[in-house]
Amino acid sequence: MGFVALDGVGKVFRGRTGAWEAVRDFTLSLDEGEFFCLLGTSGCGKTTVLNMLAGFEAPTSGRIMLDGRPVSGPGADRGVVFQGHDSLYDWLTALDNIAFGLRLRGTPKAERRATAERFLKMVGLAGQGAKHPSELSGGMKQRIQIARALANDPRILLMDEPFGALDAMTRAVLQGELSRIWAETRKTVLFITHDLEEAVALATRIGVMKRGPGGTLKAVVPVDLPFPRDRTSDGFMRVFREVHALIHEEIHGAH
Amino acid sequence: MLTSRAATIAGYVAGFALLFLVWHLASVFLVRSVLFPSPWPVFERAWVLIEDSILQEQILASMRRILQGFLLGSLIGIPIGLAIGSFRPVRLLLEPWTEFFRFIPAVAMITVAVIWFGIGEESKVFLIAYTTVFVVIISTAAGVGAVGRDKIRAAQSMGASQLQIFALVALPATVPYILTGMRVAMANAFVTIVAAELVASNDGLGKMLWDARLFMQIEDIFVALISLGLLGFATDRVFRLLIRAFAGRFNPTM
Repeated sequence: MGFVALDGVGKVFRGRTGAWEAVRDFTLSLDEGEFFCLLGTSGCGKTTVLNMLAGFEAPTSGRIMLDGRPVSGPGADRGVVFQGHDSLYDWLTALDNIAFGLRLRGTPKAERRATAERFLKMVGLAGQGAKHPSELSGGMKQRIQIARALANDPRILLMDEPFGALDAMTRAVLQGELSRIWAETRKTVLFITHDLEEAVALATRIGVMKRGPGGTLKAVVPVDLPFPRDRTSDGFMRVFREVHALIHEEIHGAH
Repeated sequence: MLTSRAATIAGYVAGFALLFLVWHLASVFLVRSVLFPSPWPVFERAWVLIEDSILQEQILASMRRILQGFLLGSLIGIPIGLAIGSFRPVRLLLEPWTEFFRFIPAVAMITVAVIWFGIGEESKVFLIAYTTVFVVIISTAAGVGAVGRDKIRAAQSMGASQLQIFALVALPATVPYILTGMRVAMANAFVTIVAAELVASNDGLGKMLWDARLFMQIEDIFVALISLGLLGFATDRVFRLLIRAFAGRFNPTM
């Protein structure tokens, strides 16, 4: 069994307008240290998968295990980077945001500060620690989110379309930075995206989801390309075409 | 920064100067009655009242009541608002209270306040606290409800306990709402204190208004009115500065 195991996981939301099956029979196993991109069209249930692994939502069927232990509720072993920067604490400085998890655990102030400074530097924002989130750009805020999650030293990093709201240039820069950070830390990453190129640029494996409702895993494509990825190389194009063929029919069936 | 502050102050000065000019023109050319004095006799009268320490006494009496009642009301309102915003059963139980009492204005409560507490300090402090508490409760509860879901989820996935989420996320995120509620409540407090002192008091700006009417001291009435306006203006500025200091930096919309 893998480091992370989702076994026949399903999620049905019940509301006033009736039941909605977001995810059906989702099975996936992740190895420690891999960068797994979950790719799918909007409404395919990929964010629901992440929310269940994070412990924000309970699955209605199946089970989720992390390193042999069942997941029940959120915990510090699973760091989350959200799509919006709404999750940052506006009243704290960038540095205090990064140190938040350490503060929760009662880490001494000096140590907390040193760790936060280290991760601030890792995400390329050395010297910007005294600023508040409102003084930072969208890309900088996502860097702070990444640093905040990493500073807490989770077993796995869950990223929910973290660059979805950024402009194309900033997104490409941050993808490069994330790839470098992952190579440095070798954290296990589950990265949700609907951006095909982003998935091929970052992942060691790509999981393509069927469209919703009742989204499930359609295929898993290994990406055996060296880092840093050259987006114009033949290998990149080959994987791109392969994944594109898989997602193509989901896109054109969805609307 | 300095120039914009200078511009603000210049705007205040010019705005007030214009107000007094309009007042002067209205009294001299439009109304022309002893019942509507022009600014100068009013300022002269104010100076006399200040020299005799009478105006200061009235202002102090009113402001002391406002501050006492306001602080009492806020101290009661903030925890109740936090509880209503945080716990659904508390909200279901107490929301009828707030929705009921906020439609009974403090002015209407003057009668029972005087019957219960007499015309001493207690009745006024009670009325100010009453008028403060519901505004603060409602805006505090709304603030707790408006804390972003991802802020709480982020804390959970960093290992925060329920208590830590409350103290380190929900509470600081609510501070701007609490301060805004207190600012609105302060404006209500001014309305209430004058009404209460008009009806039942031995001193304060409301009593000053009432006495001046009895003895037809028209200038005294205007001195009291201007004092109220200036005091309210100054208090509201202080609140705006507080909100900026605590919240403006992270919430540019306020």
